[in-house]
Amino acid sequence: MITKVKRFFASAPLLLTLSACGPALPPNTNGVLYCSEGNPESFNPQMVTSATTLDMTSLQLYDTLVEYDAAKGSLQPGLATDWQISDDGHTYEFTLRENVAFHHTDYFTPSRPFNAEDVLFSFQRWLDPEHPYHSVSGGRYPFFRATRLDQLIASISAPRPNVVRIQLHQPDSSLMSTLSSSFAVILSAEYGQQLLDKGLAPHIDQRPIGTGPFKFRHFRPDVSVYYQAHQEHWRGAPASDSLVFRITPSNHKRMLMLLTGDCDISPYPPARDIAWLQQRDDMNVQQSLSPNTAFWAFNTEVPPFDNPLVRKALSHAIDRDALIHSVYHDHAVRADSILPHTSWAQLALPDAYQYDPEKARALLAEAGYADGFSMDIWALPVQRSYNPNPRLMAEQIQSYLAQIGVTANIVSYEWRSFRRLLAQGKHDSVLIGWSADHSDPDNFFRPILTCAAKRSINNRALWCNAEFDALVTAAIRTTDISKRQLLYERAQKLLAEQVPIVPLAHSIRYQVSRRTVRNMLPPSLSGIRFHAVYSDHGLMEEAAHD
Amino acid sequence: MISIVLRQLGVFLITFFILSVLAFSLAYLFPGDPISNTSGVLMNHPHYEAVAQARGFDQGLLGQYLAYMQHLFQLNWGVSLQDGASIWHEFKVRFPASLELSVLAMGLALLIGPPLGILAAIHYNKPIDQVISFLSISGYSIPVFWFAQLSILFFAVLLGWLPIAGQVNPLFDVPLATGSVLLDIAISDMPYRGTALLNALQHMLLPVVILATVPLVLLIRLTRNACIEVQRMSFVQGAYARGLSSFSVLQKHIIPNAMQRVTPSVSTAFSLLMTNTLIIEIIFSWPGLGQWFVRSIYERDYPVIQTALLLLTVLILFVNMMTNIYYVWRYPRVRRELNATR
Repeated sequence: MITKVKRFFASAPLLLTLSACGPALPPNTNGVLYCSEGNPESFNPQMVTSATTLDMTSLQLYDTLVEYDAAKGSLQPGLATDWQISDDGHTYEFTLRENVAFHHTDYFTPSRPFNAEDVLFSFQRWLDPEHPYHSVSGGRYPFFRATRLDQLIASISAPRPNVVRIQLHQPDSSLMSTLSSSFAVILSAEYGQQLLDKGLAPHIDQRPIGTGPFKFRHFRPDVSVYYQAHQEHWRGAPASDSLVFRITPSNHKRMLMLLTGDCDISPYPPARDIAWLQQRDDMNVQQSLSPNTAFWAFNTEVPPFDNPLVRKALSHAIDRDALIHSVYHDHAVRADSILPHTSWAQLALPDAYQYDPEKARALLAEAGYADGFSMDIWALPVQRSYNPNPRLMAEQIQSYLAQIGVTANIVSYEWRSFRRLLAQGKHDSVLIGWSADHSDPDNFFRPILTCAAKRSINNRALWCNAEFDALVTAAIRTTDISKRQLLYERAQKLLAEQVPIVPLAHSIRYQVSRRTVRNMLPPSLSGIRFHAVYSDHGLMEEAAHD
Repeated sequence: MISIVLRQLGVFLITFFILSVLAFSLAYLFPGDPISNTSGVLMNHPHYEAVAQARGFDQGLLGQYLAYMQHLFQLNWGVSLQDGASIWHEFKVRFPASLELSVLAMGLALLIGPPLGILAAIHYNKPIDQVISFLSISGYSIPVFWFAQLSILFFAVLLGWLPIAGQVNPLFDVPLATGSVLLDIAISDMPYRGTALLNALQHMLLPVVILATVPLVLLIRLTRNACIEVQRMSFVQGAYARGLSSFSVLQKHIIPNAMQRVTPSVSTAFSLLMTNTLIIEIIFSWPGLGQWFVRSIYERDYPVIQTALLLLTVLILFVNMMTNIYYVWRYPRVRRELNATR
């Protein structure tokens, strides 16, 4: 027995050698491990809404006709090399790229390169209720419904095999921007037909085929999504041979995994650790301004908020810089317009919403409320990317309002009742926000501030202004960018005068990667691009020997 | 012997029956529609009517129970309410992953627990005994999740020796076949199998060792106490008096008699281990039953809760039965007592 015990202790060093040199890796790999926040809802971005799914699918597996370059602020060719817009703005004609290869996997072998048929197939799927794939996998296309693209496009046709023509009901200059969004991906018509013949239609959204830089290999829920490089990608083979998304919902776990090398890249680090991560030599913290706006909307249908003077007074009563410090831990920038700073149409009007309690009191007196009044502030019961703590924000606004003699009560319901009661217009004011779906500035105006939006309940201020509607409609009817800019500037000035909403903040999105990861760009509106990204494990060895 | 096995089997079947009735009635005890609760098929699903009929919901409770048992044995366990995935398919790959962890941990505990207990007993009240007893008492009082976090901090974050999540680095692209990563690597024809195996073992080291501490400290204490008691018995004193060496007394008399007292507790140790496997799996993102079960509770995924509960209890029952049978087979005296013969 004693020898047995001795033998065990003799084997202990063996156990130690298992671990002594750090985790073993496949030789010569440059694959990238991205720790993702959740499982993908689907592998077809046409059907999803969550940014998590979008990051994991669209830019990796698919391509879009045109792409939005956030750095240049302009549209770049994607699967379409060139496009023409008719003078009346009704017809868009796209010339398609030639020799674009679809993924070759163990479940699909493409027989032909990409052509107009694939574009028609992909668009008809959400456009045409009669399309064989329209109702597959639930048949909901939230992005295309929200942007009303399904009602804007009259028809789509292919006059030649490499030309696609889109006919609109009325001119709409945001079309190019919606087409460049990560939702408007191109699927393979040939694959669709094959699955239809086999009676396996739902596979199109579970075992995807696209033209993107990576092809699908396997997905294990709660564990990982594994992609392999698509060597024949039209931009050239991607820099890494594989891309793995590890599913890790907890942000603390993601950070630990980053430290131990179980992840190479992780989005959304815990807010209180960002400063610490920034100081580390082995980590690279990147940030970008999220295309969202948190705002405080007044119910302009109920007194006293139907009086612009009152709304203006309240906008001067709060110190937004202090809110950004305490609510966002400085991980946001002050909003001086409903549009974020990254938009080409933004007109910053910092004076319009400046913290000035004296002026606020004077305005209240002018409106006939010198003694103040009592109001409700509805605080969102859930955390949102544009507002990490609506309740705390409401409490702080409450104390600011007390200084100008306005008594505020904070109201909060469970999320579903909250939305229902909000839609019924039972609120005085609400702390809410908006996240853009695509890069066009129109996305911040028509969906949330027009009379039409009031009917579709997204207009939380219940504000309907004919002049404003005329301005944003005129802006959407022209494709001339300088004309649009002037119109949007006028619209923003009007907003600053009327103050149906007070813009509060645009949040900052963070992303951390290990120093061994190369060519990683900050996250952008369109998602994360991994085409040029690879992991340089040689560098890690070097660092270990230093 | 056969009658004892049959008796054990009888007890197992009766307990299984009671458990299955309980699991079946959960469909009614959970809020909502019992058909959805047990099958995962929602009321607006086109197959809903067919499912209701197949599960006997047009008949009385007895018919429903029989249909439930039939589905259970046909491995037709319904689908998850959350993602519509087949529960059997999910179970098939998750169970071996959990089993891999718990069997290795149990093996480790059985390998070193009793020897350490014996070592402590033969050095009763000497420094070796005191060190071992101190370690086992502290191991007993430290919660597993805390020990796990501490080990992650030390071995993974500080020293960078070990990974902390999953079964193997996903870059190895181990094809999923059985769910147990060691088996999957062994049967695959992937490149770099040796390195992958090493990587999988590194992933396994922390969870297995931490998990093993639970039954380990229990086994050490039980073995030590049993040995000390046996040592005081008159037949042991007699053996010494006959002039046997202390080694052969230990080997022939003390250990076999002490082990007889420890054996029945192995099943207790195993059920303790299973509870802790659930915790360890969540901490180390191990894709086993624990993660699945806990998530189903969070998401109120009733068909999964219903099935997972039954399966876990059946597993523990089964191990309990096997331990009992082994106990009776290995120790004739127990057998005679049970049979009330001489």
